[in-house]
Formats: sequence, structure tokens, C-alpha cells
Amino acid sequence: MTAPARSLAATATATATAPAAAAGLTVSDFTTRGAVPRVYGEALLEAALADERIVCLCADLTGATETDLFRDRLPARFHNAGIAEANMVGMAGGMAGCGEIPFLHTFCVFATRRPFDQVAMQVAYPRANVKLVGFLPGLTTLLGVSHQAIEDVALMRALPNMTIVEPSGPAQVRAAVQAAAAHDGPVYLRLRRADAPLPAGQPLQPLQIGRAQALRDGDDAVVFASGALVQPALDAAARLAPLGREVAVVNVHTIKPLDVETVVAMARRCRVVLTAENHSIIGGLGSAVAEALMEAGVAARFDRVGVRDTFAEGGSTPYLFRKYGLDAEAIAARLQALWEAPR
Amino acid sequence: MVRLVGALGQGYVQQGLGAADLFATLFFSTLRLRAADPRWPDRDRFLLSTAHNSALFHAALARRGLIDPARLDSYVQDGSTLEVNVSQRLGPLVEATLGSLGQGPSVGLGMALALRRRGSPARVYVVLGDGELQEGQVWEAAMYAGAHGIASLCVVIDLNFMQVEGHTDQVLRHEPLLDKWRAFGWQALAVDGHDIPALQRALAQADATRDRPTVIAATTLVGKGVGFLEGQLGHNMKLSPEDTRRALAVLDAAEVAA
Repeated sequence: MTAPARSLAATATATATAPAAAAGLTVSDFTTRGAVPRVYGEALLEAALADERIVCLCADLTGATETDLFRDRLPARFHNAGIAEANMVGMAGGMAGCGEIPFLHTFCVFATRRPFDQVAMQVAYPRANVKLVGFLPGLTTLLGVSHQAIEDVALMRALPNMTIVEPSGPAQVRAAVQAAAAHDGPVYLRLRRADAPLPAGQPLQPLQIGRAQALRDGDDAVVFASGALVQPALDAAARLAPLGREVAVVNVHTIKPLDVETVVAMARRCRVVLTAENHSIIGGLGSAVAEALMEAGVAARFDRVGVRDTFAEGGSTPYLFRKYGLDAEAIAARLQALWEAPR
Repeated sequence: MVRLVGALGQGYVQQGLGAADLFATLFFSTLRLRAADPRWPDRDRFLLSTAHNSALFHAALARRGLIDPARLDSYVQDGSTLEVNVSQRLGPLVEATLGSLGQGPSVGLGMALALRRRGSPARVYVVLGDGELQEGQVWEAAMYAGAHGIASLCVVIDLNFMQVEGHTDQVLRHEPLLDKWRAFGWQALAVDGHDIPALQRALAQADATRDRPTVIAATTLVGKGVGFLEGQLGHNMKLSPEDTRRALAVLDAAEVAA
């Protein structure tokens, strides 16, 4: 038996106890949502009705990316490129060169990793007014390693001229779409579809590109969180409060350009810094914060919650978040370890 | 073009000489451009997917009055906007930065769709290399444009049979070329890339066709017009001062005779 096969077998054994429930899980990532509000699709349509330059491109994932609303209402401005992302990105570059504002839709992996060179040359380099909209960020899908984007933020961060926005949840999607549409230049929007209606009475959240949002105050530590890790960070902070630990939580919805001013100020004050992202710990929010703090000369106890330089697997999101240490428990544990580490 | 490459001692002289008749036809007969208004919204779009054929491109722009000929002296000098792979640093006449091969048809397709939505009569011309046909993205764009009948898109293949490692057949054969494009829904025309009236006829036929995109496979001879260079396969040819002098003498004599 070869070494790689052994390690795969070992992984399978180690996780054999886990998802008996997976048998009952269904892959719904491709489907059109009916009953659940299509928060993104509605926001895009609203933006497009207000600005006739906006066009919509899709790669055989119209229902999954909620762009069926756009297709049905504005068919002349909708293009289904088929399963051909490189061509779709090139088309978007050409459209932007003629004054249109293309919003391009697929899963995160296929918006970034697959057509990376096309994004670099036809979107980032010319500062084309193209919005790359990716769904299924990080470990939020059953579809497994082929569909899990754990390095997309790292890839997009490395491109000059690129802005990266990841709203914390459905309540911030509308503001993210409006901000992306109003921003003159390339934007990567990293989105999760809502799987339930917004709770009644929950206000929509604003989003200003480049301005991180403090959601909870505290002096004992600060968690800089993005996307799907914002709520677990808040949950961890709530869990630690009765223990006498006051943890600040900041929603870093814009990963590039990073709000360095807020990051540095909060880190200086708290001296214990944790980042939390639904992404590899390499190249994403954790790296961005570390770079900013080192350049600013801020000494802090520092750790990163994220996928720890490994590929994952298919599974339900709660299962994967638990297994790969992305849940509230993992955040709280890492904060404890930082407080307890010898000085 | 030979002066630009000769000053460097090496460059894409073979491709430049090979495609000179093609560029002359496009820039002096086909493309609707306004020298005084390079951003004219209804200009025809010209995309050089083989962005390394830059000496010829810059020379054509200068001869057509689209850039100041004095700028040619800076070709491939440090800091110059006239780069060896044409980039958008040059200015508005470069519609996209290509050179990462295989991307021109997709960008052209996007432009054609955007122009169509606006009701613009502008056409989109993409000069594509034959080695570039090996890039899968070319066929993604071909499939889309054919399926949707994007008639304002015209791809002109500079069929010089040369790529970095030599003859295209020795690397990856592209025949049956016209059949491939026809199978993707395109009008496919074969012409002698040095027969300017034939090129004009093919381009006019593309313009007159309303239901399909057109590909023109223009067979060209690398080094065309300079006897001792004709047919020599050299992707990045060395050109000594003596060879440059001899080549220019041949070309000047041909111009005087014409």
C-alpha cells in the first residue's frame, strides 16, 4: 500500500463515526430556491433596474446563484456562458471595455481558481468594472473538495486592483451588492446563499467598502472575523463573557483593502488577537491582519482560526465547521490558549 | 517593423513580415477608426490575441496616424509604453491586454455582445495565431459565438504554421481547421494571406454575413518579402545589423518599385 493511500484510509477511519446523518443529506447547492427569499438575486435585480449598464453572466448555475430573477426580468442583459468560466471572464472583460458592468456568477472555486489568469488579465489588470460573484465559500458545501473554495481569497488578494467583499450573512448582502455596484473597478463578492428567511424584524446591515464593523466591544481580546465565521465569533464572545472575559468582535467584510486603521487600533488596545475565517489560514484574512500588525509594529498574542493548510471533504456545514475547527467552540478554545500561553 | 526589431537584434521579425499584408489590409481598408478620436464609441474593435506581434502592430498604428511615429524609437526600451507584448499602457487603441494566449476571442465576443445591445454597427476583429488554437479557451468562445450567431465577430487566423518549438504540425496538428470551425457554427473562409484583394473579399463577405460569426484562415509565409528570411521558422529570431541592413534594402527596393 502506498503512503498516500494509507493516509486516506486513516482519515476515513478517523471520521467513520461522524456523519451517519450524511445519508439523509441532499445536495441542494444546484437548485433554485423558491420559498427562501433570494436575498442576493433580489438585490442584484434592484441594482440592475437602477443602472442599465449592469449585465448578468452565469455559467450553468442560474438557479444556484439566484440569477433566475434577473434572467426572467431582464433577458436581453442576461448571458448564460455555459460551463466555460474562462470564456465567461473574457467576455465580461470585453463587455466592461464597452461600458457595461458585468456581474459574473458561479461557485467561488470557478470564479477564482479555475480562471485565475483570465481574471488577472481581463479584470484586475485593466481595472475592469467587473464583479465576480462566487457562492459556496470555504466549507459550506456537501460537494466536497472540488467545490470548496479555501484559497479563493488568497488568490484574489494577490491581484492588484482587486477588492474583496464578504458580507457576514444574508442581512448584509443587499448592502454588499449596492457597494459593489457603486465601486468603479473589480470586486470579488464572496457569498453564501441564505438557507432560511431572515428573522422577522432583523434590520438589514449596512456595508461600506474598506470600513470594518465593530459588532461587540471588549478589552481582553479582539476577534477579526469574516463571512460565516462572524456569528461563531459572536457566539464565542457571548460564551466567554460569564467567565469574565470581554471579547471584541469585528466584522471584516472587506478583506481587501483591509481596514488597517481599525485593525491596528483594536489590536493595540486588546493585545490578544484572533482572526476567524471560512478559508485557509494562509493568504486570507489571518494573513492580511498579521501583515498589517507586523508593519505597524504591534506586538500581540496572535492566532488564526481557519482551515489549517489542508484540503477538506464533503459534509454538512456544522459537521465540517466542527471537524476543521471553525465553530464557536474552536474560537473560544483558541482564545483561552492565547490567554494561557506563557509570556 | 524591421527597423524596430533590428534595433533590438532580436524579436518577432518573422511573424511581423508574415502578417504585414494582413495588417495592411485591416488597418488601411477594413477597420473604421478615427485617428483624432481613438475612443469613438462606434469604432471597430481590433484585438491582437498574438500580442507579441507588437513591432508590426506599433508600426501599423504609426503608419495609419494613430500614434506619433516618433514614439516608435522607444519600442521595448525600459519605461516605454511600446512593450514587446502589447499592453493597455500604450493607450486607448489597445482594447485589451492579451498575450496570455487564447483570450482574444472571448474578449472580442464580450465586446460584440455589448456593442450589439447598444445598437452599434461596430464590428470586432480578432487576430489569432495558429499555435493559439491549442488553447481550450479559443474553443469555448467559438462554441458560444457559433451557438448564438454573433455575426459581428470576425476571427482572422494568422496561419503561419510557426510556434515556439517550430512547425505547428510537429507540436500539435490543427487540421482539419475549417471543418472544426464550421462544426462550431462559423462561416470559415480560407485565403492566401498575401493576396490583399482576396483578403478584402473575405472580410467583406464576413461583414455581409448576418447569421454567423466568420473565421478567416489566412495562410501566411513567415519572413515574407525578404528572400533570405522567407520560410525560416524562428519564433524569436536573431537579426544581426548586417541582416537588418540587407532586409531593409530589399524592402526599400520593393517599395520604390511599387
